[in-house]
Amino acid sequence: MAAQAKVDVGGILRPQGRLDLATALQPYPGTLGERAAAHLLRRAGFGGTPAEIARYGAMRAVDAAATLLAVPNANSIAPPEQAQVDGPLAQRETRESLAALQLWWLNRMLNSPAPLQEKMTLYFHGHFTSRATPRFPRITYNQNALFRRYATGNLRELTHEVSKDAAMLIFLDGASNVASHPNENYARELMELFTLGVDNYTEDDVRESARAWTGWRVVRKGDAVVFDEARHDAGRKTFLGRTGNFNGDDIVDIIFDQPQCARFFATSLLNWFVYNDPEPELIDAVARLMRAHRYELAPVLGVLLASNVFYSERSYRALVKSPVEFVVGTYKTLGLSEIGAMAIPSLAQMGQRLFFPPSVAGWPGGKNWLTSGTMIDRQNFLTRLLGSQTLRASSWLRQLPVAPKSAASVLAQIIVQNDVSPASRSELEAYLGGAGSAALPSLSAENYDERITGAVYLAMATPAYQLN
Amino acid sequence: MKRTNFLLGAVSGLAVVANSEHVFARALAQAPLPGLPGSEKRCLVLINLFGGNDGLNCVVPHGDDRYYRLRPGLAVDRNEVLAIDARVGLNPSMRSLKSLYDRQMVAIVQGVGYPNPDHSHFRSTEIWQTAAPDRYEHTGWIGRYFDDASLPKTNLFKGVSISKVLPEALVSARTDIPSIAGLGSYAMMADRDAAARDAFSRQAHDSTLPFASPYLAHVMAIEGDAQRSSEELPKLVSGYQAKAAYPATAIGRSLALAAQIVGSNLGTKVIYVEHGSFDTHVSQRKTQDQLLMQFSDAVAAFYDDLAAHGNDRRVLTVTFSEFGRRIEENGNRGTDHGEASPLFLIGGGVRGGLYGAMPDLAVTNMGNVRFSVDFRSVYATVLERWLGRPSAAVLNGEFSKLPVLA
Repeated sequence: MAAQAKVDVGGILRPQGRLDLATALQPYPGTLGERAAAHLLRRAGFGGTPAEIARYGAMRAVDAAATLLAVPNANSIAPPEQAQVDGPLAQRETRESLAALQLWWLNRMLNSPAPLQEKMTLYFHGHFTSRATPRFPRITYNQNALFRRYATGNLRELTHEVSKDAAMLIFLDGASNVASHPNENYARELMELFTLGVDNYTEDDVRESARAWTGWRVVRKGDAVVFDEARHDAGRKTFLGRTGNFNGDDIVDIIFDQPQCARFFATSLLNWFVYNDPEPELIDAVARLMRAHRYELAPVLGVLLASNVFYSERSYRALVKSPVEFVVGTYKTLGLSEIGAMAIPSLAQMGQRLFFPPSVAGWPGGKNWLTSGTMIDRQNFLTRLLGSQTLRASSWLRQLPVAPKSAASVLAQIIVQNDVSPASRSELEAYLGGAGSAALPSLSAENYDERITGAVYLAMATPAYQLN
Repeated sequence: MKRTNFLLGAVSGLAVVANSEHVFARALAQAPLPGLPGSEKRCLVLINLFGGNDGLNCVVPHGDDRYYRLRPGLAVDRNEVLAIDARVGLNPSMRSLKSLYDRQMVAIVQGVGYPNPDHSHFRSTEIWQTAAPDRYEHTGWIGRYFDDASLPKTNLFKGVSISKVLPEALVSARTDIPSIAGLGSYAMMADRDAAARDAFSRQAHDSTLPFASPYLAHVMAIEGDAQRSSEELPKLVSGYQAKAAYPATAIGRSLALAAQIVGSNLGTKVIYVEHGSFDTHVSQRKTQDQLLMQFSDAVAAFYDDLAAHGNDRRVLTVTFSEFGRRIEENGNRGTDHGEASPLFLIGGGVRGGLYGAMPDLAVTNMGNVRFSVDFRSVYATVLERWLGRPSAAVLNGEFSKLPVLA
């Protein structure tokens, strides 16, 4: 193994300071206040409007988490027009259909009354990765809907379902895994990337699991998945120390009986919601919780999102915003109600094309999101968005106070929850036409829009705004 | 007020002496790498022929009757082939490359691949980019070369990708490599707003932020890099005049910028360029021949330009593609995803000729060309004999070197 690869795996960093394990998962006391509420909404959703932040700020942590978990019935969510049986997704106009689906989902993230559901859908998209199959865009929507259905549901059940999902069967070759020629692709990734992690199984386990998964097929252009007895290997298999005439369902159940499976998901969820590279003892505590709840996510998330460790200073701004979080969060922060098509190429430039994860391992995240190239793309996305007519549609920017000091104060509060240095704050004031701005003409009706736009850009170019 | 202060110390609150002259003077005066004499001035240009370039219609086995039997609607006629010898020759659209070959500037390595080949564009591309066929790596092979060589962080252009998105090959654990689609687009649009720019530049360089984050230093460094590099790059390369007529194609523009970067002496070790798509499932001849012509003509102009500036011996160009294609044509006058394929090494430092084994169309891997040279052998050769660095740590193992470099 190359020595240097161990030091900085995946470019993710653990915060400084010590974990207080005894109190880590206990509920955070008192009401949240706006700073903590904004933190919660960034992590459990895609940020908050000023009104949402105020509403959650008045809640206690447990109530705020419960509110986010009160997901409306998933069946009440209308699928995109494109996903209807006769809609464009049923046809072979791939590029347009997938772009429409991306845009539909981004807008759902922005406007859903259940942002945690969308955040978990995004989590599962990066976890149980399947790249879109251009010929059959509708199966991509179906997988997305599956993730949404199980957003805060049962992990074991979701793993059963996603193993037989058309997009997954195509992407990881499950559909061509037949008794006469077993294909190990899904069997391997199921353990390596989805449930256990490397070194927790043997090559024999991969081979035996592949045999158990034989027989699944995708038919009717991806609209149906069938189990073909004739292609299935019904013989005896030995898998993770157990022997029987296992099928795929048995494999999932045996995997979820392993304590390592709970640790694997605990690690992954802590990385997603709390901070990167979590301590082993914190992982174990969350894993125990997960097993106690038999892999039901809602109660686990209820504890995690109300916990002291979640609201600790070590967790605050301890994650890098993904491009999707950056883009959706910007629309959200500005109070805009619709994400336009310009977001799609911008996201691709920043390194995150929905439905096209860079590898079966998903998006690596952390430092990997930020290069000088993607940083320029982030700033240029802001410039384009702020320069467009959409700014006029912002609910609160139109009502910004005219006095530079007050205007700067509102901007710093709403955009970065005052996470700016005193010097940056006074520069913002100066830019808006306050003291020390001799070089700038003072704010007037003529330059008002342009100057406010520039000030929003300045606030969004702060380091805090790149962090979640 | 210094223009370079914009954003840099600025809103980020970063304590940096944003003096571009110092930064770049240091970058350009970087210590030579240990290893081969002269390797500190060398540059590697990687061209990704993405989509899966069909090797058999690129380097054509015109001496093999099986080729003509298996490809009745697709084969390159014997009398059209730019023959290298009685067995193989180049696709007729690559006259320019053939002329470089005749000048001993092109090494053709046939049958390049890896064990247990993957037929997915996605995964196979990842395998070539990370040089890791049997595991998942978050860094690319060039990224690991940068990490291993500890090139100075102050050199913002030690590697440059001429693409919209940074390819995985250049992802490093420790350093930031810019992806530059073109000089025009690699710029902060807000720079055009003089008032905003000046507001940034007046900000004090303190970092009294009311929060800590493990990523704060990284974000600030990247903001600084982005600002500096986008502002400096056009200035640093502005003195260069191309001395060749590049074709008006995307690859022509990319290689023109590559020559400009090389000729501007920014200490650039690796430049990455993309060309495609070679995913020719349908009506292959028209698409592939055109792409090969664009590639061949652009490379010829590139070396004309480099030679006119005395840089042709400093630049090694290496092509790759995620896989070759099926030997037998499909029902749509195209070919499906295959396995091993040839690649080119081009430049004044190359020992021209044919390397590797010519594809054996009788002994195949379920209808695909078997590999005779592991692609990591090519990488190891480039790392050790061109860039002057050990390759085992970067490639996670020892691979034999090819005698392709003079």
